[in-house]
Amino acid sequence: MSAMNRRQFLKISSAAAAAATPLMAAKKASAAAAHVVVVGGGVGGATFAKYLRMYDPGTQVTLVQNEKDYQRRYGSSEVIVNHIADSALNISYDDLKNYYGVEFVFDTVTGIDFDKRQVRTQGGTTLNYDRVVLSPGITFDYSAVPGMTEELADTKIPHAWNAGPQLKLLRDQVNKLPIDGKVIIVPPPAPFRCPPGPYERAGLITQWMLERGDKNPSVTILDVNNNFPGDYNMVHLWNRFFGMNVPKDFTPFTQIKYTPEQLATLKTYDKPAKLQWIPGNQGGRVLKVDADTMTVEAEAGKFQADLINLIPPLKAGKIALDLGLADASGWCPVDPTTFESKMHPFVHVIGDSSLADPMPKSGYSANNQAKMVALQIKSLLAGNGVIEPIEMQNTCYVAAGPKNFSIFVTEFFREKDGKIIEGDQPPLLPFNASDEAYRLCRVYEESWIENFTHDTFYKPYWA
Amino acid sequence: MTNRATLRILVAALGMLCLPNAFAAPNESQDARPTAAIMLAQTCAGCHGTEGYTRGDALMPLAGLPRAQFIRAMEKFADGTRESTVMGSISRNLSAKEIELMANYFASFPENPPIAKGGKL
Repeated sequence: MSAMNRRQFLKISSAAAAAATPLMAAKKASAAAAHVVVVGGGVGGATFAKYLRMYDPGTQVTLVQNEKDYQRRYGSSEVIVNHIADSALNISYDDLKNYYGVEFVFDTVTGIDFDKRQVRTQGGTTLNYDRVVLSPGITFDYSAVPGMTEELADTKIPHAWNAGPQLKLLRDQVNKLPIDGKVIIVPPPAPFRCPPGPYERAGLITQWMLERGDKNPSVTILDVNNNFPGDYNMVHLWNRFFGMNVPKDFTPFTQIKYTPEQLATLKTYDKPAKLQWIPGNQGGRVLKVDADTMTVEAEAGKFQADLINLIPPLKAGKIALDLGLADASGWCPVDPTTFESKMHPFVHVIGDSSLADPMPKSGYSANNQAKMVALQIKSLLAGNGVIEPIEMQNTCYVAAGPKNFSIFVTEFFREKDGKIIEGDQPPLLPFNASDEAYRLCRVYEESWIENFTHDTFYKPYWA
Repeated sequence: MTNRATLRILVAALGMLCLPNAFAAPNESQDARPTAAIMLAQTCAGCHGTEGYTRGDALMPLAGLPRAQFIRAMEKFADGTRESTVMGSISRNLSAKEIELMANYFASFPENPPIAKGGKL
């Protein structure tokens, strides 16, 4: 090492020491600093905690989470067709704890005193807050489906919409399906978590049965809804690969319809489809379920099956319902620029529980809402007011079923006149998308899962 | 001294000369990362990684991307001359000013990962 280099090295070393000092000081000061409590350790809660600590290291963040062994929900349908192991969904909170300095309380929140600004837990912990952010996910309204119960969901008719044991049960049921078995999938009424999710499942299961060697699998989607995000591409692919006729009166979610020329390129089949979608306007609405005979009665008739995957109607997370943060819709109304509850001040609701229409209830939405709210809360705590304008985004990659065919939906969101509005660009692949474009979506889908999980739960790759 | 050894020393020296920039970054970055830029750029991180540091080679890393290259890529996504999946739609939803803010933000990070901070933020 030359003399000059040695001097340079010493200079750098002292710079390093100087740089480290303010960071440590900030940590020490945090005891007297603002305190933000986060309820829920899913995508919304975790992203919020990470980003608030990144943007505002002087603020103390405590995350209350009821599940210590948390599994991510997004991408979990890949488990049921054995694309990935169940353990691939496991999330560790170590980085949030050790790298970002988020404090954790593994407990169930039982109440919030909105006047005293205190969160209380089952285990007897009381946490004072300057702001509280709830990202409590979803609850299932079993009573809305005659014949359906929570016990049945745990044992025979799993919804598997929250990963965990029900997802394993559904995977085992799929793996035990008889050759050319019958499967029924019942999506909940919109809005619900992961809007393309039930349809992705249908496609994945159909493809799995075909790859196993089934000649005539029978997967039926009994749907109260008339469309879903991504249907424009999905119906096209299912027509091409799974022998499905385009449903009568089909009006895609985006309102971008097939032209007469495009429709003429689609096939018409006169034998039963491998995958059949019966939308609400064709009698898809389910009236009741009989678990003993494994029969689903819909407006269009009775359907007997070897496997029923019924996702009951959804509402906001239990704690949000218990605390009166939801309105008659079952979801929590919020200010679109801060996601502060319209029911109580200093309380923010993000993720699936929030009423953020037209943002879909997706992991990506929760992640983006969390970051936006982290910026807002940093500003509010510093007394600097609400930041405007705001921008958020959603991007979902979705497996259509056929091998190496994935699609995407993507939307850009802003606020205007007190409402969240969506950008006007077509959020889909075009009708004439090449097979290569679908394959690229599959490649991006896999890469997205990895980067998204990291952005939400983990420290930087290089740290 | 072999050529290779000389090269190694040169590389080490260059690396050290670059180091002070890493420490200067927080001051410079204040201007390159106004809240309006963070608000926009953080929407990308769900796919492109926190602060644009990406794992794997499928999705493009954005951290340290020269601003002109970022802007050119977004313009090409928007007019369709560069094929894409989601980026065509996303780029057309952004104004030129917004794309510039995002370009400045990502260019303000070093392309190569910064020095690890001892396992803590």
